[in-house]
Amino acid sequence: MIPEPKELRTEEMLLNMGPQHPSTHGVLRLVVRLAGEEVLDVVPHIGYLHTGFEKTMENRTFHQNLTYTPRMDYLHSFAHDLAYALSVEKLLGAEVPERAQVIRVMLNELSRIASHLIFVASGLLDLGALTPYFYAFRERETILDLFEWATGQRFHHNYIRIGGLKEDLPEEFPAELKKFLDTFDHRVDDYQGLFVGSPIFEGRARGVGVIGPEEAIAHGLTGGSLRASGVNYDVRKAYPYSGYETYDFEVPLGERGDTWDRMVVRLEEMRQSARIVRQALERLEPGPIRDPNPHFSFPPKELLASSMEAVIYHFKLATEGFEVPPGEAYVPTESARGELGYYVVSDGGSLPYRVKVRTPSFFNLQALPGAARGHFFQDLVAILASFDPVLGDVDR
Amino acid sequence: MRREEARAYAEEHGLEVREAHDLLHIVLPLPELKTHMAAFKAMGFNYLADVIGIDYRDYPEAAGWHPPERFAVVYELVSLPGFADGDGSRIYPRVYVPERKPELETVSDLWPSANFPEREVYDLYGLVFKGHPDLRRILMPEDFEGHPLRKDFPLGETPTLFNEGRYIDPESFRAGLRGKEKGLTGWRGGRRKGERR
Repeated sequence: MIPEPKELRTEEMLLNMGPQHPSTHGVLRLVVRLAGEEVLDVVPHIGYLHTGFEKTMENRTFHQNLTYTPRMDYLHSFAHDLAYALSVEKLLGAEVPERAQVIRVMLNELSRIASHLIFVASGLLDLGALTPYFYAFRERETILDLFEWATGQRFHHNYIRIGGLKEDLPEEFPAELKKFLDTFDHRVDDYQGLFVGSPIFEGRARGVGVIGPEEAIAHGLTGGSLRASGVNYDVRKAYPYSGYETYDFEVPLGERGDTWDRMVVRLEEMRQSARIVRQALERLEPGPIRDPNPHFSFPPKELLASSMEAVIYHFKLATEGFEVPPGEAYVPTESARGELGYYVVSDGGSLPYRVKVRTPSFFNLQALPGAARGHFFQDLVAILASFDPVLGDVDR
Repeated sequence: MRREEARAYAEEHGLEVREAHDLLHIVLPLPELKTHMAAFKAMGFNYLADVIGIDYRDYPEAAGWHPPERFAVVYELVSLPGFADGDGSRIYPRVYVPERKPELETVSDLWPSANFPEREVYDLYGLVFKGHPDLRRILMPEDFEGHPLRKDFPLGETPTLFNEGRYIDPESFRAGLRGKEKGLTGWRGGRRKGERR
């Protein structure tokens, strides 16, 4: 007969998770040290999506680079376009007309809503809730259709130009957008009803992956994940850009900094974003949509048929780009994931000398090991989802 | 404002201060990097937003200013608004790192958020952060040779070929765009007639 063991011993185990794993939101690889079900340590390995955008951007003109920016964060791509354009506009001293500013804010917030919808949907999917996924994608599909209508693309809009926008909105666009906004708030209420208050969600998310404000700041968290810890830092309020200071909106804050707060804060952010879009719609006045400076703005399309001068300018801008005065500029912006900014160095030529992207997901990921330690392995998936990482944003 | 406080501190210690495009750059001497950074932290810059590596090898003299060494590391320090008594000040201290000895002290013990970005600078520029807890490659594969964001890292392009042996060499095409030599059209990126600026 086998003698009864005196104590039950659990061996430590190293488990590799990813890079091809549906719950890693891309190609993140985590090496997890486990004692039974308990997570002792997590080491993130990144770089599987590293495509060298920063190097490529050094060898393309300032305008061509607008093709690369949305491909980093493919969910909130409008924010990347905007952040890059703001930095270059600062170096150029470009003046963006009022209508272009309003449209930028409007579409940026719309893009943020689309990104948050994915976050809520896929985050709950990781917790085993399948239903919200289909509801959230209904709204997201409407937003993407609106984007396709206005910009020609669903994901990589490429709608922003240095000094303004590519073209004006379609005439019926505001009316259609209003239709979407009329129902949107009820839809957010629906999502809230689907999971907030559910005992399963409470049990899986309350008190899981707690990050205190000091720890969050030390590890470089920004965005909704930082605000869930109770730190009132929103770039749109702290360093307003594109006229955000004139819009009336609130910054939702969490109290405990757990997975529950990180999920629910973003739900509230969607409502606030919808509020900003509504205000922007009211301000939409006819006007120019580009800085008329011929040094960096393409001539209006209708002129190309009648003016030789316009054709020459168009050709020069398209082939050789424009010269940007030497200097270094950085403009912080708020993406759906946190502080996003482009540190652009120009040497006076028409190619940027150096472009450094401060992507929020890259920094947010540093807080993951601290948050996951001591929790169950199943909770690691939920905690990771609550940080809302986009691996294109991490690896660039 | 802490920004003014940092400027006064820099002037008191004889550090070079530059202000351009709303950014306050403070040049720190390489050996005293750690002491000055600790002083900024004590001043209330509680958030390190970024560590940026720059290779100034090809930076033209014509830009009006030339860096003393090949590499620069720019730190972005924020007094985070919304936490404690943060007032939103931002400063951009930087150090110049020589090519022959690409080493500098880590600041990841002062701000843990410097961990990943310092690894990134190490990976892409080959600057060694002494005292870093986990200095490994982060974006490139572990067995990758070279540091891709250095300006002398080959791009691996092929020239565009045309009839009768004519070709466009990408390197000289871009040199034209940079205003260093004549490009395809001979335009050097200057102001044009009729430009309002």
